[in-house]
Amino acid sequence: MLANIRQSIADWIFRAAVPEASPVTLVQRRIFILPTRQGYFFAFTLLLLLIASINYTLSLGFLLTFLLAAMGGVAMLHTWRNLAHLKLRPGHCPPVFAGETAHFGVTIETPLRKRFAVAIRRRDAEAMFVDVERGNIAVLPLPAAATRRGRVVCGRLEIFTRYPVGLFHAWSYFDFGLQVIVYPRPDPAGGAPPTQSHGEAEEGISIPGDDEFNLLRPYHAGDPPRQIAWKALARGQGLLTKEFNATASSELWFDWNDARAIDPEARLSVLCHWVIEAERLGQSYGLRLPGTSIVPGRGEAHRTRCLNALALYGDPKPQ
Amino acid sequence: MSAAALPAASRPLDIRNVFWLLAAMSFVIAPHLARVPAWVGIFYAAIIAWRAWISISAQRFPPRWLTTMLTVGASAAVLASYGRIVGRDAGVTLLIVMAAMKLLEMRTQREVVLSIYLGFFLVMTNFLFSQSIPLGIYLLACVWFFVATLVGFQRVGATPTIRERLVPSGLLLLQALPLMAAFFLLFPRVQGPLWALPQDARAGMSGLSDTMTPGNISQLIQSDALAFRVHFEDQLPPYGTLYWRGPVLWSFDGATWKANEAAPVGAPAYEKAERPVRYTVTVEPTGKHWLFALDVPGGPLPAGSSIRHDLQIRSTRPVDTRVRYEMVSYLDYAYGEKFPQMWRNYALSLGDAGRNPRTIALGRQWREESKDSSAVVSRALQLFNREFTYTLEPPLLDERDPYDDFLFAKKRGFCEHYAGSFALLMRAAGIPSRIVTGYLGGDVNPLNKELIVRQADAHAWVELWLEGRGWIRVDPTGAVSPLRIEGGMDAALGPIGAMSSLIAADRLGVLSRIRYAWQVVNSEWDQWVVGYNVDRQRQFLQQLGMGVNIDWQTLAYWLGGSTFGIGGLIALGLLLRDLPRRGDPSLAAWKRFCEKLARAGLARAPHEGPVDFARRVAGTRPELEAAAREITERYVKARYGSGASPAEARELSRLVRAFRAA
Repeated sequence: MLANIRQSIADWIFRAAVPEASPVTLVQRRIFILPTRQGYFFAFTLLLLLIASINYTLSLGFLLTFLLAAMGGVAMLHTWRNLAHLKLRPGHCPPVFAGETAHFGVTIETPLRKRFAVAIRRRDAEAMFVDVERGNIAVLPLPAAATRRGRVVCGRLEIFTRYPVGLFHAWSYFDFGLQVIVYPRPDPAGGAPPTQSHGEAEEGISIPGDDEFNLLRPYHAGDPPRQIAWKALARGQGLLTKEFNATASSELWFDWNDARAIDPEARLSVLCHWVIEAERLGQSYGLRLPGTSIVPGRGEAHRTRCLNALALYGDPKPQ
Repeated sequence: MSAAALPAASRPLDIRNVFWLLAAMSFVIAPHLARVPAWVGIFYAAIIAWRAWISISAQRFPPRWLTTMLTVGASAAVLASYGRIVGRDAGVTLLIVMAAMKLLEMRTQREVVLSIYLGFFLVMTNFLFSQSIPLGIYLLACVWFFVATLVGFQRVGATPTIRERLVPSGLLLLQALPLMAAFFLLFPRVQGPLWALPQDARAGMSGLSDTMTPGNISQLIQSDALAFRVHFEDQLPPYGTLYWRGPVLWSFDGATWKANEAAPVGAPAYEKAERPVRYTVTVEPTGKHWLFALDVPGGPLPAGSSIRHDLQIRSTRPVDTRVRYEMVSYLDYAYGEKFPQMWRNYALSLGDAGRNPRTIALGRQWREESKDSSAVVSRALQLFNREFTYTLEPPLLDERDPYDDFLFAKKRGFCEHYAGSFALLMRAAGIPSRIVTGYLGGDVNPLNKELIVRQADAHAWVELWLEGRGWIRVDPTGAVSPLRIEGGMDAALGPIGAMSSLIAADRLGVLSRIRYAWQVVNSEWDQWVVGYNVDRQRQFLQQLGMGVNIDWQTLAYWLGGSTFGIGGLIALGLLLRDLPRRGDPSLAAWKRFCEKLARAGLARAPHEGPVDFARRVAGTRPELEAAAREITERYVKARYGSGASPAEARELSRLVRAFRAA
């Protein structure tokens, strides 16, 4: 109830443009602070201690009560300071398959002191805690369930802390517009990738691994580890990538119509399975969806392009 | 990178945190263990051990029915031990039991917090028994421990080091101290109690009682505890006159002397009252009604007190907090010549019929042999002087006829033996007499000239009524051990108390000087910290210049003002450190360097880089080359190279300051 009100007030006060430019620095006006439930309970305890001190005329009781009260006040400053001036940046948000857990990466950096027990959470999800050391970048992968294909949108995040004594909750909101692409869940029931597409004349040889080795070229980021010339590396020739001849004979086309399944989602799952398999076997493959066509190719980038096309087919509603 | 992903509810409590909490709670409870029944200590230790075992070997928590049964059982045991469940001692014991049970059941963060707050209450309960400096320091350490435990529990997903617990919590408390002091001084004090205190709220205070049986003062003598402090306005009166009168005992049953509660109010007129002494007494809580003064008291009485016809000063409320009052006494006096017949009978009562027959017979015999009362008194004193021994360890006396046993058989005793048997002898001889108990002498602290009267100075003496002279004081103990009267307890029997053997061995007097200094510290502590009450606060605020009539509003303004002032300073101190450094000191130094050269006619062109500029300077003014090159190199390194440490930046500005172009 209280959290809801707080959320709506913050929604209203804090209407930042989405996505926010990186990095977000938690300046003074971005940080809110309120007592926690434990804090209110602490105040109640102090009241009881005060009454006891008055009743029994205990001077040291007064000292204790006021020491704890002042400690609470100082703790408010420390809690606020634990969040102030932190720098937030969007991190890695790797794609996942439906049914897996998506992770939104956020990095935290402190320009000054070490910060303790800083936490980030999505609206109702469990918070993740981290200590941020100076000179180190703390990375928080915030989990979210990816049930359907399409995209999971992270939405606004809350960064908060209750350190050092838990009497106060200091928090701020930020939104980098993070999202994770969710590929369709691969369906192994689709079997091996079809070697011949209907309506296509090309003859394909389906025996895997018969590609002819063509040449060695310098390594580019994203080349699959399978294709790295490890022997060359061992010989001290540096990182090289083995290039294969993309023979016409091994070129496959995965067509929407080939995936025989009852509903479109099941079709996409089958196609997804084929793409993964073909890539695993090192074959060249293309993808044909209603309204889209990706020419045959190979490699991590091509695979990602195909899977993205499958994930976003029909522009599904973000989760 | 580190992160914790388990949901908070199912995350088991970190074992280190649990142990910190168990240790903190045990520290707080430790001072209580000497005061509560032995089974409570055993119960507590067993529960703590059980809780530790649960954490160490990931055992299951005890089922609810078992903890309920234990709680009910322990509460019943408290009831059985004390006969009740409320009141100070029973209440504290119950709180200890509850704290132990709470620790045993503690599973979630919320229960941890509850336990820690309970710990703060247990800190408070310690103050019901003592508010001394050492205990205060000890409990401050306990609070530190508790706050450190709180900090530990906030470090979700990390295992903080001991340093990472103690330093932040210590810092919090340290920064809280000035605010605490402001609140302590300025928070409007109310005269407690707000409701009736339990009967035993002040139990355990040592002091005189309103009865005297042979043996009960010598028990008190063993105690080094403070009875009261006296500050004399002028010089300290002679030691032999420092008789601090307490309860006056009239009734006698053959063994025990008792105060007479029916004594009428109102001091008798003094026939003579000279040599006034002015002094201030700060008496420790006794839980009883009487206040102490030198004989005979005059002038205005302490607020809320009255004087009886036997010169006993009684406070209307029991003295259950430290009380401070100013007094005037006269050392040369005469009073009570006209003494009512009814009270004469009281002062001649020989106790239950047939008890102490030999003592009574001796008194009567003396009276028959001499009509002069003074002669009878002298005979008794001579008897004591010749045959009796003063000792702190008197032999046990016969219950029925204790004074016969003492006078004719044992002949060894302490002040109450001498006072009791002397008064009885005098009564038998027809001289009205009463016993006065109180304190004799005291110990002057040379550092602040304060007289410290301890329980060990407790004493009993006799007042006689003589025809034509009124009431006079006679101290039969003086006849046995004159040193006791002239030099105090230490002189009569050697030093008393825990430190006695140390002090006796200390020939250079270092220890006694330390002891005196410690007494001064304690005296100030008692007056300004423990004794800071409504009156003290008023006094303090008047010294601040707030005037005589201080209302709540003024106080609230002051309190608010100082809170914001101190809080603001702390906030500034903390937050200023966080501000990003404005400006680069190296750049500022370089600008000053360029200004100096510009004044010498060598202005840097806007397009000119530092290295080119330095080259041009070297070309036109060769004598400046070395200095200019050094400054430029340092600046380039700070600005465009690896940067400059604060020391290097300081060195650069020093060089620029030393640079002379003209």
